[in-house]
This record gives sequence, structure tokens and C-alpha cells, in this order.
Amino acid sequence: MSSSPSLNTWSDALSGLSIGWFPLGLVIIAAIPLVFIALYALTYGVYGERKISAFMQDRLGPMEVGFWGLLQTLADILKLLQKEDIVPKMADKFLFVIGPGILFVGSFLAFAVLPFGPAFIGADLNVGLFYAVGIVALEVVGILAAGWGSNNKWALYGAVRSVAQIVSYEIPASIALLCAAMLAGTLSMQQITMMQAGPGGFMHWFLFTNPIAWLPFLIYFISSLAETNRAPFDIPEAESELVAGYFTEYSGMKFAVIFLAEYGSMFMVSAIISIAFLGGWTSPLPNIGGLELNAMTSGPVWGAFWIIMKGFFFIFVQMWLRWTLPRLRVDQLMYLCWKVLTPFSLIAFVLTAVWVINH
Amino acid sequence: MSEYFSNIKTSATTIATGMAITLKHFFNAVKRKGDAGIDDADYFRQVDGLCTLQYPREAVPTPPHGRYRLYCHIDDCIGCRQCERACPVECITIDTIKATNDDLAACGKTSGGQQKRMWVPVFDIDIAKCMTCGICVSVCPTECLYHTPVADFSEFDVKNMLYHFGNLSKIEAEAKRKKLAEQQVQAAKEKAAAGDAPAAKPAPKPKPAAPPQE
Amino acid sequence: MQELGKAESNSIRITRQDDQRVTIEKDLDTEHMVLSMGPQHPSTHGVLRLECITDGEVIVEAEPYLGYLHRCFEKHCEKIDYPAIVPYTDRMDYLAGMNSELAYCITVEKLLDIEIPRRVEFIRVITSELNRIASHLVAIGTYAIDLGAFTPFLFCFRDREHIMNLLEWISGARMLYNYIWIGGVAYDAPADFKKRVAEFVTYFRPKAVELYKLLTENEIFVKRTKGIGIMPADVAINFAWSGPMLRGSGVKWDLRRNDPYSVYPELDFDVPVPDGKFSDVGDCLSRHLVRALEMEESLKIIEQCLDKMPEQQGFDPRAVIPKKIRPKAGEVYGRAENPRGELGYYIVSDGKSTKPVRCKARSSCFVNLAAMKDLSKGQLLPDLVAIIGSIDIVLGEVDR
Repeated sequence: MSSSPSLNTWSDALSGLSIGWFPLGLVIIAAIPLVFIALYALTYGVYGERKISAFMQDRLGPMEVGFWGLLQTLADILKLLQKEDIVPKMADKFLFVIGPGILFVGSFLAFAVLPFGPAFIGADLNVGLFYAVGIVALEVVGILAAGWGSNNKWALYGAVRSVAQIVSYEIPASIALLCAAMLAGTLSMQQITMMQAGPGGFMHWFLFTNPIAWLPFLIYFISSLAETNRAPFDIPEAESELVAGYFTEYSGMKFAVIFLAEYGSMFMVSAIISIAFLGGWTSPLPNIGGLELNAMTSGPVWGAFWIIMKGFFFIFVQMWLRWTLPRLRVDQLMYLCWKVLTPFSLIAFVLTAVWVINH
Repeated sequence: MSEYFSNIKTSATTIATGMAITLKHFFNAVKRKGDAGIDDADYFRQVDGLCTLQYPREAVPTPPHGRYRLYCHIDDCIGCRQCERACPVECITIDTIKATNDDLAACGKTSGGQQKRMWVPVFDIDIAKCMTCGICVSVCPTECLYHTPVADFSEFDVKNMLYHFGNLSKIEAEAKRKKLAEQQVQAAKEKAAAGDAPAAKPAPKPKPAAPPQE
Repeated sequence: MQELGKAESNSIRITRQDDQRVTIEKDLDTEHMVLSMGPQHPSTHGVLRLECITDGEVIVEAEPYLGYLHRCFEKHCEKIDYPAIVPYTDRMDYLAGMNSELAYCITVEKLLDIEIPRRVEFIRVITSELNRIASHLVAIGTYAIDLGAFTPFLFCFRDREHIMNLLEWISGARMLYNYIWIGGVAYDAPADFKKRVAEFVTYFRPKAVELYKLLTENEIFVKRTKGIGIMPADVAINFAWSGPMLRGSGVKWDLRRNDPYSVYPELDFDVPVPDGKFSDVGDCLSRHLVRALEMEESLKIIEQCLDKMPEQQGFDPRAVIPKKIRPKAGEVYGRAENPRGELGYYIVSDGKSTKPVRCKARSSCFVNLAAMKDLSKGQLLPDLVAIIGSIDIVLGEVDR
């Protein structure tokens, strides 16, 4: 963490840079996460998912465009750009157009409070965790707008299901995150991460310092699947039931935006879970005697590396689950939320409180 | 209550089993099945791993009597029209002209040594209609009609799917038809000259050479 | 208190109180919505269209509309010779062409009264049982996709590929075989065919177990299918159900046992019927389970056939095929166990023509689909998808 002040001065200098009245530095800084997200969504989100699903299903996946199909996503994006942007005649045009926009903004707003390193954080809010949980709810508005605006029965089904699902799963997810907040004693994302940093590497993470933490960890992981509409909770898009759910009528770039938002929120929940329970940007390697592995693998660049790796790991698990499991039914989904996850999260909450008081 | 917990337990264990299976496949992805044909002795050698073949470069070999594109070796065709009649979808169109006696040598023999007695100016297979059932192949007496292992013969224009196998050009066919008609008129005249024959029939349409087999 | 009238859908109740006052109660009224599911819907397995009247996600009524794939099979048959009908039967149930051919050929052979060589019978049974496995694999795979699991589907298709290769090897075609002919088969089995089929059986056994673990035992899958679309045995019989659908309702009825044909009487195999421990008898899971277990029985049959099949050098499988098929006047009904149930052909011959006067196909999934309306009443939309999947329709056979 010795190098963090230098990064701060560097970023301060960059943000001060401007050509005439134009704040070029600020634009660059704002563009960094967007570029990262776009790259991530292109490479890992789409390409990775296709390859991982292919290998799990004894297939090769994309192979034709570029070496091992690496440029496949680029080709897809180009295709989507060329497509006609169809707005159905009977659709509510305003809602139809802003739906994907809200969805996109909603899923990327939370990135503002994700710490990517000791000094690399968009906004170190003192209510960061709260903000991250709350801002996801904005997606619901976008989904409902998209589903209702499409004027399509399947899309409406998808939207209503999705809203019910996301709103319900916020409860166990929030309670599970509260456990982490309670262990850290703060809501600031950066401070939660700091609490888990130390020379012992992974031994300082909440998941391993605490005998109960696995329960909220698991609950949050399951809820995050539901919040991002991933299988086995992908009932809002349930392709075999609802054609494509709330984005049935979308095509071209609007469709791409919805997809980007989905992959964005996938990374977001993965980052949040790794911050809350797995020490965010801290290195997992412990110092062993004289071998200072932890110190060697810490720093701003390493921090970004670790949190992205942790995020990718959880995205891999999400994909792994998706390509293994069938889909739940709506009522079973609600059963799982209200009758299993919520009671267990409350138990976890109480147990964590007891543990925190006793330590 | 115990059912509640046993439910959670079975869910967790069965999901874990499923995930173990998919993960095993994920790690098996370093192996590939290869493109051994079914008649290859080591077809079932590689049971795990990827099984995709990248089509234009790799393909599943077609077995010896795989039925793909229908082909007519017209040199062997005797114009018996059995295939035309047998075809359930009527994708074969044949027109024949009886060869005149002086043309028999030009008409030639089949590879089996059988004398051909028919010119076949039109032997069209509408491959777009053909359903590769192989009934025509089974009735062909000279085995000149067969399926080739060419599986990929898509076309941009459906007209290109009409395959012409006829052994005479249009002009040649016209000439042969004229020749046959003249000869028939000649024969009729000769018969009429003999006195007891009925009036000459108009030039008959070509009939199938071989009678339907019973 | 007396109820005077009820508006449709129970949303308005008019009741007379004890003091003769009339009260009108009105629920939060929800309108029914007409939802057209298909013909281009991912889970209607082709071009089935269901007109669903829904109340929220609850299906009030689902009416199947058929005929998008109607190709006049029966009228065609009146125009073409007996042997030329065989490729058309392939195209009815295109997932189980061999079984359809077998049913048609044994029907015509019944009419012709000819003796089939023993080796041909075994080849027929092996190919049609292989095709039964292939068909069940598609049924199970697409059922997995209906319920949201994509991976089992591809595993099923990977294994089906081997069967298609085997069948292509013996017949020359991958799906639409025209292999079983009236009085014989088109080609003799290649020299290594028996060996390769035996290898396939050893290859497939562990894969079937893996599939069972991955899909059938999965708790989410069980939750999605258990107790859904229950069909009691008596109603199933009244609907003239057959095949795995009927066996799923607990009736031990298999034409290979109950009306044996070909060499099935010599073979030792079980007719799997759900015992009600893992599934509720008659639900979607039972029907799925029957298919999963039947694959194992088919493997057993294939193994026995490989043992019993007589080896003959230079065997001509077309030896007893009549040159001209002109059956004596009369009518016949022949049936065989298709992967989807009883496939029967009713053929009338006038004794003069080489074409049937009438050829009617009794299609198994058409009959099974008839129960759709009853099964879907009051179910949720996702359950409707589960029910359609469990019926395992092939629209080529439904519409013919």
C-alpha cells in the first residue's frame, strides 16, 4: 500500500489536465472503467461464456473468426451495429427506447463504488455498500419499461417476473451483505476491503476469519444469481417459455446494450461478493516466514488484478451453474427466496451479531 | 420440518453432482474425438473430450453406400425409364428416341455388354426434389444410376439443382428424331407397298424399351 | 345467506343477506388474456400452436392447433406403389424412421403373408432399437432444454450422433433411411457392424448413467416435473394413450410384449413402469423416467440380438422381396411399438392395383397430444412447457 499515494497524485494530476476549457483528464478518468468494462464484456463476458459453455458441452465453441475465434465477439458487435434498429409499431416508443438505457446505467452505476485497488476507486462513499445494493434496484425500472414498452405478451411476462424476482431477492442479499458490514463495522467498500488486508493473505478474509461467514456468503451468492437473472434463476428471459423475456422485441444495438448491462451486473455482483467476503483487492498469498509473498503481490496494479481475478472466478462459477442446472419455476423461485434464503439470512445475521459482540 | 431440511440437502447434493459432471467435461476439453469414420476400427477409442468437427476442413467420412447426390452414368443407361416410374416424387424426367438400326453401333453398348437401343436426349434429375430414397437405384437394371458421396451441393439458384445427364444435344436429338420418323414413314410405305398393311400410323412416340418386369 | 348468481370467472358474486338485502361483491377483476404460443415458439417442438387463455401465468385453457406440417401422407399413399411408401413413413416420425418403416413393412407383410429370413429380422430389431435410443435421446435432450438445462441436450445429441453414424453405415442415410423394405432390408449389415454396435453399447452405458445423474436426479428437474400434469391410468387408457406416455401412467403395456412381432418374443427385456417412489405415477417425471429406463432395455435387446443373429456369408437381404407387390384384396391393421407409442397402419388393397386403396396411419403422438387440453388445465405457463415436452411430440407424425 506504499504506492497508493503516488497513484493518487498521478490521478490528481491527470484530472487537473485540461485543454482550454475542455477537461480532458476527467474524461480520460471516466473512460477508464468504461474501456475496462467494454473489454471485459467483449473478452470474458461473451467470448468466455461461449468457450466455457462449449467446453462443458464437449463442443469447440467459436473457432472461425480470428485465432480460436477470439474476434468472434467483435464480429457479433459489428453485425449488431449493422442491424436495423426496429421499434415495433404498436410499442410505447418512449419506454421502449429508454428501457435499455436505464438498464445499462443502473448496472454500471454501482461500479462507482467498487474499489479496484488501494487508491483506485470512483467514489469512496461512506455508504458504498448501501449504495451498491440500492442502485441495482434501478435495473427493475429499466426492465419494466422494456417489457411494458414492447407491447408484447411474452415481454410483459418476462418483465413482471423479473421485477418480482429482483425485488424479492434484494432482501436476503441485503441481509447477507449486512453481515459483512457488521463484521467490518463500516459500509464503505474501501474500508471493508482494508479490514481484510494483512500479511496473512487469505487468512484475513471474512470468509475465513469467521465461522459463520460462509452462510451469508452462500446466501448472497445465490441471491446475486437471481438479481442478475442468471440460471437457474433466469426465468425472466426463460428462452424456452417466454421466447426471450423482456427483450423479445429488441434487436440491433439496443439488444447489445441489454446484453452489456447483463454482463456488467454479473461482474458487479461478483466484485461485491469478493469485496464483502473475499477481501476485494487484497492478495490471497500469505507471508510465509521470510518469503514475503503478500507484500510482493500487493499494490495498485496487483490490487486491480486480484479483484478482477476474484470477479472472474465468480463469473466462472455463475457460468458453470448456468450450464449445469435446469431452470426453476416462478413459485419455486419465490419459495427459495422467502422460505429458505430469507430465514437463513436472518439466522446468519443474528449469529454474526453474536459473534461480533463476543470478539 | 425434516422434509424441509432433507429437501435442501438433496438439492445441494444433486446440484453438486451435476456440477462435478460438467466440470469433468470442462477439464476433458483438452482431448478431441477426431474424425474417424464409423467403419474405422478405432471409432470408439476416444470416448471423452470434444466431439465437434469443423466442417469444411474436417468432416465425418461418408460410408461406402451413403446415399447423397444422385448421379447417372449416362453411358450405361439403356433408357428403360424404370427409375422414372419408380420415383415417388417424380424428380426424374426422361425422354428417349429409339435408335435406328444403322445407328446401333453409334449408340454403343453398356459396360455390361448390353446393346443400347435408345438415345436418351433428356435425363434430368431435379435434385431439389430428390429425397434420396434410393428406390430408383434399386430398380435400375444396368446400375448406371447411383448415389455419390458428395454431401454438399448447395446452390444459389434453384435452377442449378436441375441436373442434365442426357447424351444428345438438342440439335442432335432433333436430327435423330427426324431420322427415326423418316425411317418409320419409309417402313410404313414399304408395308403399304406390300399391299396388305393398314394405313401408316403417324410417327409413334418413343415407347419404353423394356417391358415392366413381373 | 344465499348465493344468487355468479358471473363468469367468479369475479362477481351476488348474494342475498338474511335481512333480504342484496349485496354485490366484486373481486379485483383480472381479465383473461389470449396467448398464442407457437407455431414459432422455442418449446413447441416444431410447429405446434397452442392458443392459451391465461389468467396471469395460470392456463385456463390451452387448445392445440395442428396441421402446419400436414403433407397429405395418406392421400400420397393412394398414388404410389407399396415399396415407395416406405420413404414417406420415414418422414412421418423423422426421429424414429426405422420404427416407422418396421411398422409399415410388417403391416404389408401381414397382407402379403410372406416369411422373412431370420437374419433380416434381427437386423430390423437392432436398427429399430438403436433408433429408439436415438429418439429417446432427442426426447430427453429437448425436454432438458424445455426446462432450461442446455448441457444434457448436447450430451444427448453427441451420443445420438454415434447412432446416426451406425445407421448411416448400414442403411446409407442418417435420418430418412428407407432401409427396411417389404420382405427384407436394403443391404446386409457390413462386416464389422456387429462389433461396432457392441462397442457402442459399452460406450453408451456410462454415458446414460451420467445423463441420469446430471438431469434426472437433479433436484430442480425433479421439482419442475414431479406431480405436474398427472394423468390417471384409466383416463390415459380412455384417451387411447400408448407407449411411454401410457407406461408413465403405470399401465404395463408394450406392443413388443403384448402383441409381439418380429423376434421380440425370443428376447428378454423388461417393460419399465414407474413404481411411484421417485415420481408420482402419471406425472411428467414418470414419463421422462420411462424413456430414460427404456434406453437401458433397448441396450439389453441389442446385446441379445447381437448374440443371436445368425451369421451368413453372402447373405442376400433382398432375396424374398417380391418383384411386384400386389397384395390380395383385403384389409389389414398392423402395429408396432414406436418410441412414442403405438404406430399402426391400416391398409386396404383391392387385389388389382400395386397401390393401396387406403393407407391410414394411426399416429401415436397425435393421439397422445389429444389429452393436451385436459392436462394443461389450471397449470402454470412453465408447467405447460413441461407437459408439452413430456408428451414428446414429433409434428411430422402429428400432422402427417
